[in-house]
Amino acid sequence: MNNLFEVIPAKVFGVDQESPLIRTLHLEPERPISFKTGQFVELTIPGIGEGPFTPSSSHFISDHLDLTVMKTGFVTNYIHQTHVGEKVGLRGPFGSHYPLDKFKGKELLILGGGCGLAPLRSLFMTLLDEVDDYKSITFLAGAKTPNDCIYKDQIDDWRKYSNVNIFRAVDEVPAGQKWDEDVCLVTKLLEKVQIDPKGNPAVVCGPPVMMKFGTLDLLRAGYAEDQIYLSMEKKMYCGFGQCRHCMVGSYYACKDGPVFPYSQIKNEEDIWD
Amino acid sequence: MLIKASDFISFLQRCGNERIGEYDEIIVPVMSSDEDTLNWKKLDNNLTFSLESSRTVDPLKILYYLFRDSVTDKKYKKSKRLVAGVKACDINALVLLDKAMINEEFVDPSYKYWRETTTVISVDCTTIKDSCHCDLIGGLPYPSRGFDLNLSRIDEYYYITAGSEKGDVLLTLIKQYCSVEAPSDDAVNKINGFRNQIASELRYQNQKYNSRENLRTLKYPAIENWQNNSKDCVGCGACTNICPSCYCLILNDESKAEKFVKVRSYDSCQLHGYARVAGGGNPRPKISQRFRNRYLCKFCYMMDNFEMLGCTGCGRCIDACPAEIDFREVVDKLVNHVDSVISEPPKIKTQTLGRL
Repeated sequence: MNNLFEVIPAKVFGVDQESPLIRTLHLEPERPISFKTGQFVELTIPGIGEGPFTPSSSHFISDHLDLTVMKTGFVTNYIHQTHVGEKVGLRGPFGSHYPLDKFKGKELLILGGGCGLAPLRSLFMTLLDEVDDYKSITFLAGAKTPNDCIYKDQIDDWRKYSNVNIFRAVDEVPAGQKWDEDVCLVTKLLEKVQIDPKGNPAVVCGPPVMMKFGTLDLLRAGYAEDQIYLSMEKKMYCGFGQCRHCMVGSYYACKDGPVFPYSQIKNEEDIWD
Repeated sequence: MLIKASDFISFLQRCGNERIGEYDEIIVPVMSSDEDTLNWKKLDNNLTFSLESSRTVDPLKILYYLFRDSVTDKKYKKSKRLVAGVKACDINALVLLDKAMINEEFVDPSYKYWRETTTVISVDCTTIKDSCHCDLIGGLPYPSRGFDLNLSRIDEYYYITAGSEKGDVLLTLIKQYCSVEAPSDDAVNKINGFRNQIASELRYQNQKYNSRENLRTLKYPAIENWQNNSKDCVGCGACTNICPSCYCLILNDESKAEKFVKVRSYDSCQLHGYARVAGGGNPRPKISQRFRNRYLCKFCYMMDNFEMLGCTGCGRCIDACPAEIDFREVVDKLVNHVDSVISEPPKIKTQTLGRL
């Protein structure tokens, strides 16, 4: 059995500054990492530390992967200082993935905000590779301000697919910034959606408060509890249920999750904290 | 199989001096100078050790799951180790650690190495400590599984039982160097009698506590009840570090020559930053919440994960607590806590919602 603590060295071959706080690293690991969309990896900055990130690229590509990282603490500060050509480390992939088989032939709704769009981009890019297998894909994306929006230069391409709908919203438009789409909370965009919730799945990822209210809105709209898939953000330290930091009740967010159907964890405590 | 206790002790010493059995290391409990506590020490010539008595201060896990250990780029050399004088509570903890650390999904390389290279000789408890309470969680002061060899003291003899292949090998070796005799029915009765006596002393000591039933109801007392019980807790994490079955870890990079290696050390769910995520979110920011987490982990979560309790009743957490919090009392007060708010699963508040 592989030593799960073992780090796979990876070269940074590109960096996109998505927003003032968010950047996407393009990585080339020394050996391919075949993940399933929704699974995460641990990104190590040698000598500094590591953190869990969900790749934001399609799972059909395993020799390269993208990680979208928000600068929010100690390790991510260092991640934001990495340059093209530098070596970092990866461990993984770990955890559960989005059940694409259950999404096929359905009208899929994706709801995300802020840096929660990272795993959703992976899901979305993966879906695009087999886009005709899905009846429709509706992507609702939120950000605080227009400057905080990520994947800006890709949106137009994504909108070209006939069965793909993308709605974007920002919370506010500060003076000097331009925006010609909606200004509201991302959950409010649900009003624009014309999907029959019955039998169709929804995927939610974003800041805890957005996930909470997003889930509640979906429930109100008539989505079934086992059709709402959440990507839980907990402290996944080791990635394989050994360190116990990420436990949600007796579930491990790293091993049983990070993708959980809401029905599975709805009775556990502190899921939104 | 009966062997003279003095013969067995000198056999162990010869194993150390003459490399009988080719053990690179022999570890035994040694009484501290104040004759109050037992501590794990490497056997050498002039060391007086005591196999029986009660449990050691440190749990057995420190010999298998080191406080700080590198887990990558490590070369494991061939070696053999003997640990003697292990008590039932530590053996039970090893059963849990085995489930957690050597399974289909994950193998901890270092733990597996120590597990494979070590032969464990357990011994029936002959005394009990004030904090001992294995009886309350369905345990007994003598092991019934998980050992390689077990010793039961009977007068001037040890009654030896082999519990594994490694134990059989060691027993064959013992027979080469010591004279052994078959036990009489009387001897077996005597051992059982002594085991029952220790067990009943333990039950007498803990008679004021309820037996541990309905442990899952620990989920229900309102947080105020946990606050009342954790007022004295300073959140130091001594209880988890010294617990024989706690194994939460933290990973660090350590600089070795030209590269970094991953090093794991003990972590504690009692510490503030334990579950905190980047960006500041923390599911358990208060001491009372973290205090509660330990009890739920031991009695509910580990039960779900491993189908066994995370507590072996060794009582080390009671001895280690600087605030003198008695684990037994807390469980007693909060299990079946009827006058608290028996909560339903937490509900999400539904205000300020837009309509679809």
